[in-house]
Amino acid sequence: MPEKLFLQDYKTGKEYTYANLIKDLNSLTELNIYSREEDLYSVFLHLTASILCKQNLILLDSDFSDSELSALEIDTEKLTSVRNIEPLGIRDQANLIERLMQPSDWQLTLFTSGTTGLPKKVVHTLTSLTRAVRISDRHTSDVWGFAYNPTHIAGLQVFFQALLNGNSLINLYGASRNLIFDLIKCYGITNISATPTFYRMLLPSSETYPTVRKLTSGGEKFDPYLAEQLLQIFPEAKLRNVYASTEAGTILEAKEDIFTITDETLCKVEDGELYIHRILLGESDDVTLDGDWYATGDLVEVISTNPTRFRFLHRKNEMINVGGYKVNPYEVETALEKHPQVKQAYVYGKANSLTGNILIADVVAESNIQEKELRTFLASSLQPFKLPRVINFVDSIELTRSGKLKRT
Amino acid sequence: MLELLLKIVNTVRENKGLQPMPELKPEYDLRTDLGFDSLDLAELTVRVEKETGIDIFADSFVLTVNDILNKLNK
Repeated sequence: MPEKLFLQDYKTGKEYTYANLIKDLNSLTELNIYSREEDLYSVFLHLTASILCKQNLILLDSDFSDSELSALEIDTEKLTSVRNIEPLGIRDQANLIERLMQPSDWQLTLFTSGTTGLPKKVVHTLTSLTRAVRISDRHTSDVWGFAYNPTHIAGLQVFFQALLNGNSLINLYGASRNLIFDLIKCYGITNISATPTFYRMLLPSSETYPTVRKLTSGGEKFDPYLAEQLLQIFPEAKLRNVYASTEAGTILEAKEDIFTITDETLCKVEDGELYIHRILLGESDDVTLDGDWYATGDLVEVISTNPTRFRFLHRKNEMINVGGYKVNPYEVETALEKHPQVKQAYVYGKANSLTGNILIADVVAESNIQEKELRTFLASSLQPFKLPRVINFVDSIELTRSGKLKRT
Repeated sequence: MLELLLKIVNTVRENKGLQPMPELKPEYDLRTDLGFDSLDLAELTVRVEKETGIDIFADSFVLTVNDILNKLNK
């Protein structure tokens, strides 16, 4: 029998089997407390090893700049510090999964853009990360298309769903549309979990891909027109729409764009805002609770009650959702204002039919400066999805009476 | 129209550090031939809308330069 594939990564052109993973885990002698690898296999290896040796891990995006890291209060000198570990001695794939499932107090720290200007730290346990994982014989032959950044909560959930069922993962994140279709065909991908923006990049297509049985959409507002088009390309697929947050992971599921609350003791709608009970949350000092409830900042429209059925509208706070990634406009404004020619900047989202929103910046500049020059300047300190895609040079920016920038 | 589109495409390309295209052919694929990802296409959409008032991705998905021209000439 050929060895079971664990991961195929088009970026390196490499395939790793579960046997490779186990061999690499067993040969580890030390482990970094930070994961900031760019290579997907290295991230997965590091993550798996940290669970097995119960050493807490801090997961960072590989493209964080030094200024982004210092905003997270991370000491860049400690990024390379390692701890010695005992040999893991994993026997086989079954032993690997059994040991991963053992109860432990292992913690994983993730970062999410905070609403007040500072990024938020969210601490997860294996229990909170794998709450939505379903393990059964029905899933043994699943082949997963991996379409998220591995530091994204949704990416981690796909990783655990696949790993704990012994499935193969095929990296699709950042791949071109033609390559994605080739990989789906070549590896017989059965499950894809991605943002609406990812799915929109696949359309239109005249070919069909019947191996795909399940499509999961999350991270952004869902669009029924997109669903209709996707089901033509993937005629055998069932489509589900999930709501997940960095704080809570996956908690709600919908067939179309209407969500139903099945347990009102865990989730509720009040004054048009979605609340999640604190027992569903990862631990975070930065999450403010209202009694036992966490206000998500997501505004919803209630369709009917008993049980509560609702549709997402938009966010209450000023975070801008760009293709499933949340951007804090203050962070981008601060970065812009560090340029010597920039006097003042105002960053906002404009609705976009492809990525949900697109970032626009209005800038008051001292002298003649080119848009391209500012973009290059920003690219050295911000992750690509945080870059304003259109910069307008204006004479003045309207302020509210309190002196704050006016946001609409 | 092709000329205007070429100008906008090259603005998007130059903003991301790519060389400008000498010309646009109708059969060019926006993703493979122009090298645009979802954020680049979103930027293209805003810039085209600014010049023409038309949202090229509204209610359908465009693949090639020709698909955009069809939308603009409707």
